[in-house]
Amino acid sequence: MAKRVLNVEDDPDIRTFVSTVLEENGYTPIMAKDGEEGIKKVREEKPDLIILDILMPKQSGIKMYHDLKTDDSLKSIPVVMLSGVSRRTFLRSQAALTEFGDETVPEPQAYLEKPVEPEDLAETLKKILG
Amino acid sequence: MSKLLIIDDEEGIRKVLSISLASDGYDVLTASTGEEGIEVFKKEMPSIVLTDIKMPGMDGITALKQIKEINPNAEVIMITGHGDMDSAIETLKLDASDFLNKPIKDDALFVALKRARERIDIRTKLKAYTDDLENMVRVATEEVKRRSEFQDKLITSSNDGIVATDENGVIVIYNYGAQKIFGYRRNEIIRKTNIEKILPANLASEFIDGLNNEASANFSEWREISIVDKNGKLVPTRFSGSILTENSGIIGSVGFFRDLRELKRLQEELIKSERLAATGQTVAGLAHYIKNILNGLKGGTYVLNVALDKNNTDKVKNGWSMIERNVRRISDLVLDLLTYSKERNPEAEACFPNQIVEEVCSLMEPRAREHDIEIRKHLDSLVGEVYIDPKSIHRSMLNLVSNAIDACIFDSSPKKQWRVDVYTELQKDHTIKFKVKDNGMGMDKDTKARLFSRLFSTKGENGTGLGLLVTDKIVKESEGILKVDSELGKGTTFTMYLPYKILSGEGISQKKQITLSTMF
Repeated sequence: MAKRVLNVEDDPDIRTFVSTVLEENGYTPIMAKDGEEGIKKVREEKPDLIILDILMPKQSGIKMYHDLKTDDSLKSIPVVMLSGVSRRTFLRSQAALTEFGDETVPEPQAYLEKPVEPEDLAETLKKILG
Repeated sequence: MSKLLIIDDEEGIRKVLSISLASDGYDVLTASTGEEGIEVFKKEMPSIVLTDIKMPGMDGITALKQIKEINPNAEVIMITGHGDMDSAIETLKLDASDFLNKPIKDDALFVALKRARERIDIRTKLKAYTDDLENMVRVATEEVKRRSEFQDKLITSSNDGIVATDENGVIVIYNYGAQKIFGYRRNEIIRKTNIEKILPANLASEFIDGLNNEASANFSEWREISIVDKNGKLVPTRFSGSILTENSGIIGSVGFFRDLRELKRLQEELIKSERLAATGQTVAGLAHYIKNILNGLKGGTYVLNVALDKNNTDKVKNGWSMIERNVRRISDLVLDLLTYSKERNPEAEACFPNQIVEEVCSLMEPRAREHDIEIRKHLDSLVGEVYIDPKSIHRSMLNLVSNAIDACIFDSSPKKQWRVDVYTELQKDHTIKFKVKDNGMGMDKDTKARLFSRLFSTKGENGTGLGLLVTDKIVKESEGILKVDSELGKGTTFTMYLPYKILSGEGISQKKQITLSTMF
């Protein structure tokens, strides 16, 4: 059975792009356009992997990542960050959340900066999902 | 020692008088005829002359006349014989000093000479006084002249325009500064023109009222006034004036005009250069935005290639719309940049503003629908075909509606029905009101304050911060008004007023001409 991958992304272009890459490589794409819809879809669909953007309206990827990794039922789902924001900035933001008393969260499985080549994305997914 | 001339044909008299007068201290000269007397007088210029009236040849009266012609100040005493009384009186009319009857008595001679000397003395003193007085007057006049020249120079060389009138409003002072502002030459104005001719009507009537009743004039505060110069051009100035009084009577008025053209030009240049600088600073922010567009294009190409390989029509559509969308984003960006960095005058043409608004709404519709945002149009059917710049409306409305949609997308309040309401409304004063109202996230004070500052965007990489700057610039260039009203969490309303010209029959033919002229 094809592995199911959730892409949380506000930009419709990138959603179309990512879903095409996913289909091309034999995964089933699930789409959400912001963090709020994203966390709902995670609970409903229990995807095998999450590709997460950071800068999104309503709920950002920073908050959603933190929520995912501090929820016992969800923390095992691997997350690949795909963002225009650099890895360093993202990690610093997670550290900042920790300083405010939240749990320390592990780093994401992979961190891809936009723009991503279709091959790089496919290879990253393959490494994690096998 | 004063010289004294005796003219007498009788030698005896000359001798007796010479001796007695020489002993009195005079330097005595004698002549035996009138002619000789005149010669001696010319040569020696005595101050006193004693002359007989009756003489052979030139008589004493003729001699008197000639002497007085030579020197009107000479004291001439006539010597008269018995029965010469009529002649003697006549000589007084000819300005003789006195007359002595023959035989000459010493005491009478003494008195006559004493009077003559006194008159000479007085005249000398008088002359000294007069000279002194003339000198003083000359010095005073020079001082007055110097002061007035100084003031004249002060007035003429002032960079500010100075215009002064007499009590009737006739211009008496009009310096080169004024000439530069009003455009009329000094010689067409000074003492030839009334103040009403060169001032705008309301200011002119203030002057006239002020000249009639000083209390009614209130000039002293500097204020900005636009002057229409000789060629009909508007000249911005700062003005201050005053009514001139002397001994509580009104004697005239004066106005000071500071030319603001250079200042305004500098201000505009500053704004322009700031705008260019902003464009430069935007580059960094823009690079991100453009990178996103390029990624969209690249992604679209990838999707399109996959779709073509698989012969998947749906995917072809997806890929193609990605490319289309990003081509539009980049062309919008380029248009915004051009509009923002260049001076541009709105080009009015006949068009239907409502139609343009419809177009903008349908362009934004797909994006709105994707996020469940409803665009509602409320277009005033009274807004018909008018003369206005369609590009200005399109550009600014596109920015405002697109912002309104973003405000809904970024609204994090729990699910609600987001709406963007777009209004047009005909106004009384040849203006159309365009209103874009959303019930999205709204703005706090801080955001509102930074709204029109350069590069400010709340949209991260999805915004350049250019949109509102461009809209603001377009509205200013169209001499319109842009207003914003916003409440955090409630929504935002942008209202834009743009002036238009009515399309008369003439207007339509004018439009054809313009179309023709732009074709060639």
